[in-house]
Amino acid sequence: MNNPTIRNWLGFSTLALMLASLFMVFDYVPPDAEMGIAQLIFYYHVPLAWVAFASFGLVAIAGIFYLWLGDQLWDDLGYAAAETGMVFCTLMIIAGSIWAKPIWGTWWTWDSRLTMTFILWLMYGGYLMLRASADDTLQVARFGAVIGIVAAMDVPIVIVSVRLWRTIHPAVLVTKQGTHGLEDPRMVWTLLVSLTAFTLLWAWFLMLRFTQLRTRSRMSKLAGRIALATVAASDPK
Amino acid sequence: MGAHFGYLFAAYSIIFVAIFLYVMFIWRRQAALDAELRTLEARMAALTERPAAGAPPRPDA
Amino acid sequence: MRKDLRLELRSGESTLALLALSMLVLVVLVFALGAARVRSVDAAAGALWVAMVFAGMLGANRALLAERDNGAIRGLLLSPLDPSTLYAAKLCAALIFMAVAEVGAVILMVLFFNLDFDASMARLAPILVLGAIGFSALATLLSAITGRTRGGDMLLPILAVPIFVPALIAGVKASAAALAGAPFESMGDWLKIMIAFDVLFVTAGYLLFEHVVGGE
Repeated sequence: MNNPTIRNWLGFSTLALMLASLFMVFDYVPPDAEMGIAQLIFYYHVPLAWVAFASFGLVAIAGIFYLWLGDQLWDDLGYAAAETGMVFCTLMIIAGSIWAKPIWGTWWTWDSRLTMTFILWLMYGGYLMLRASADDTLQVARFGAVIGIVAAMDVPIVIVSVRLWRTIHPAVLVTKQGTHGLEDPRMVWTLLVSLTAFTLLWAWFLMLRFTQLRTRSRMSKLAGRIALATVAASDPK
Repeated sequence: MGAHFGYLFAAYSIIFVAIFLYVMFIWRRQAALDAELRTLEARMAALTERPAAGAPPRPDA
Repeated sequence: MRKDLRLELRSGESTLALLALSMLVLVVLVFALGAARVRSVDAAAGALWVAMVFAGMLGANRALLAERDNGAIRGLLLSPLDPSTLYAAKLCAALIFMAVAEVGAVILMVLFFNLDFDASMARLAPILVLGAIGFSALATLLSAITGRTRGGDMLLPILAVPIFVPALIAGVKASAAALAGAPFESMGDWLKIMIAFDVLFVTAGYLLFEHVVGGE
């Protein structure tokens, strides 16, 4: 995991693909005929969504493994995933909002997907606040794992209920473009490239932050032992 | 249709700035960690040089 | 298990004040929504659930506070008690509290929102029961966590509300339908969501509670 070669490789391929996706969005793919140029935000908004949700799933899975196996490694992974996910979720909401303004005329709407994302964002926020507020690190790791699992389990139910909630109120606004709305194959390619780019970006962030947290965990263990040894060594002979 | 270009530009800029900021955040944390590591290494060195009453523990691999 | 229940119920000394406070939430809502809106069943159902959730959260926080003051939790853990049973006991206590709160809230809702004490109350009852189970299950698990962290009582709503959203949406929608006189078949989807939520969270609480209280 600490392998710098893999990390650099990941970093460079992320950079390459991100640049490629930028090029494709601005120079290659045709913007949607009706929605105009702002529609292009879609090509970053969708990958952000995928990564935000996937990261949350990772928090839950890491939580399960942590409770099951007890290795601090899993908690570090969960925390890294939560942080990364929060970044992407926030960006997704911002991008979605900026997308909505010119196209739907409003900064925010309780469209089912935006609502779902907002709730996910709140869950991330709650998780991170919990992590920040506790004093005992072992205890907070366990709490975090429980919350992560519970919240992730809830997500499917939230999706179902929010969607049901929205369909009853006849939406004045058409739901965002799904993949079936992509007529031009160039659109499909651009989306695929940016999806890959963001997945790599996610993996890279995760790797960076995870190894950092691992190092920090091990260092605090080491610091504890050194402190003990220092006390023992400085005992009057 | 270039009327909405401002929005497009804003969205993409924010995304890239945020990514950049997060990388900066990670980098700064790394620097702090490295400094802490050096302190720990120094303490370890001090321990092993001294004829200690109790043997210093072997560091975690 | 009976001992735990009694311990829990004893901590409900200030229940009356707590209930009064949550009822006042209804009053605030009536004024906030305005006289015209007060006629609608949707507003009534919404206000009812706001009051319920508010009461539920205050109740959970209060119970934890009382527990901490009594040192009760340590006593319970010293006894050879299965944490899952402890969860079940706390859940029951929370349920009883919520049931009382709900009855009070419903009565006030009918009065404030110009409704009738008729058959729709019977339709409303199972919905409120489902909601109480779901919320109690969630709050019991979460409050055990937030009670042990700094700034815990503020953290409880932050964690609980987003997670409770599906049951809240379903509960309000179903309640509004019930008050409007709709049959149960029409709210089938909402009821299914609430049942799923309840099953999920009672199970989760039962299984995960040991990780929350263990290692004290």
